[in-house]
Formats: sequence, C-alpha cells, structure tokens
Amino acid sequence: MTAFVVWLRSTALSQTLAAQADWLWALSESLHFVGLVLVIGCAGFFDLRLMGLMRNRVSLAAARQFIPWAQVGLSISLATGLIFFISEPQQYVVKAAWWAKVSFLVIALANAVVFELVFGRRLDDLDARGETPASFKAIGFISLVAWLAVLYFGRMLPYLEPGLNSNL
Amino acid sequence: MPFLVWLQQTAIARWVGESPSIWAYPTILALHTVGLGIVVGINAIVDLRLLGAAPKMPVTALDVLYRPMWFGFALNAVTGCLLFAAGAEWTGVKPLFYVKLALIAAALVLAVRIRRSILESDAEAALTGRARALAVASLVLWAAAIFAGRYTAYVGS
Repeated sequence: MTAFVVWLRSTALSQTLAAQADWLWALSESLHFVGLVLVIGCAGFFDLRLMGLMRNRVSLAAARQFIPWAQVGLSISLATGLIFFISEPQQYVVKAAWWAKVSFLVIALANAVVFELVFGRRLDDLDARGETPASFKAIGFISLVAWLAVLYFGRMLPYLEPGLNSNL
Repeated sequence: MPFLVWLQQTAIARWVGESPSIWAYPTILALHTVGLGIVVGINAIVDLRLLGAAPKMPVTALDVLYRPMWFGFALNAVTGCLLFAAGAEWTGVKPLFYVKLALIAAALVLAVRIRRSILESDAEAALTGRARALAVASLVLWAAAIFAGRYTAYVGS
C-alpha cells in the first residue's frame, strides 16, 4: 500500500489536484454532499419500501423509478471522492474509518447488484401493494444500514484515530 | 458578542465542543449529516417527481414522505443547535451561516407550499408549469443551503 501511495502522489494528476486544493476541496465537498443526499434519499426510499413501509400508498415499481437518481448521486460522490483520494491518498489509507467506509460501500453495491440480478425482472410481476417477501426486507435493511454506515464513517474520518500503522 | 461568548461557555456547549468522546462533536455532526440526507433527499424526491421523474409514483402519494422529512428536520434542528453552541463565537459571526439559515427557511416554506397547493390538490396540478417552477426553486434552494453550510467552514467572519 505504501508503494501505491508513493506512486499515486508522484503522478501529475495527484499533484495538479493537490495544488488546486484551496478552491477545489470546498467545492468537491459540497458536491459530495449533494450526491450523498440523492443516494440517501432515493436509495433509502426504495429500501424502506422493500422493507414493506408505505406499501399502501407506493408500489415497488414506483419507488424503484427513483433508483437512477441514486445512481446519479453515487456518480457525483464517487467522482468527488476520487478527487479527495487522488489528492491526498496518504491521509486516507492509514485510517480504519476510511477502510470501514469503503467496505460498507462495497457491501451496499454488492447488495444492490445481487438484488437486480436475482429479483430485478420479477419485481413488476409482484402485487403492487402487497406485503414484500422476507428476502426483500433483508436486502432493503442491509442496503439502508450499509449506506448509513458509509455516511457515518465518512463523516467520522477527521475524528477517529488512524487505527492503522501510520508510517507514511 | 456577549451572547455568543456566553452560549459557547455553557456546560452543554463545552461538552459538545471539548469532550474527547466520540459521542460528542463527531457523532452529533454525523447525525446532522444523516438528517441532511433525510430532509434534502426527501425534498429531492418530491421535486424530481414534479419535474417528470418516476411517472409510476402517484403525485398525491408523495405526502407520505413529509412525516419522515419533518423527523429529519427535527433531528437537524437539535443537532444544529448543539453544533452551533459548541462553536458559537466563530460560527455566529459569519454572515454565510445566516445565509444558510435563510435558505433553509425559504426551502421549508416552499416544501409546505408544494404540499398544500400541489400534492393535496388533484394530480393534474403536478403537470403545470407552476409546479415545475416550484420544484426547480426548491432544488436550487436546498443545493444552495448545502453549499452555504459547507463553505461556512472555510470562510472567515
């Protein structure tokens, strides 16, 4: 990991981004939050519906139509997140909170991919207002917890101790 | 300002701002971000629907989201007051912070107006230009509030 960080910091991209930190950082953070809002709002709405909430008013198919907007938000947050990481990789790889954030991001994404592959096509056949099966409830719950954990550990980055060997 | 100095010296403000506990400032800040996601995320859902997204979502059903939206707002009103108190002497003298509060107030007024004049009327209203204009205004106000909040940490007084 040390070699990777040293290499990344030596790249022109990393040095260019780091040199623009004065204005780029605050702008990217703001956009990172805009993306977060779309993910938590749109994915969270679908997760709660998967868990069976609001089922008398909102069909699964309706709640699912907001998922593309969660993907827009995720793209914004990933792009701005990469700006932070490429600028200052040494800040992040030493932090347990960052690895926790990335781990929960992988869990949230894997969970979403599994859902689409296994249940995606069957969604429209389901009774629009019916009770959701236990598997949907579990997937919705895992997604919601994972995204909130991504947010929590991201926000904790400046405060949690490194927790990993920090000799970079 | 004497009030801001007094506020930051209160026991609760000193605990939030000075306690090394992870449950003080860091967790309150994380909860404030969760509330941000709930409040602005829900408003974004309503606004995007009024702009034509998710046509299978009945416009009249969007009002189910207002109760969780107010829960998120209550969470952020409480956590926001605690965070403000902890840094009152610094945050309280920044004009941009008051711009953020004004943007949030305007966006909330708009959210109530959207519910009353569009969601609770017939679904046809959602397709009018006025509904779209209110939705765009709402998205702009919330985005501006997020930027104002983030930049408050960077600007001087």
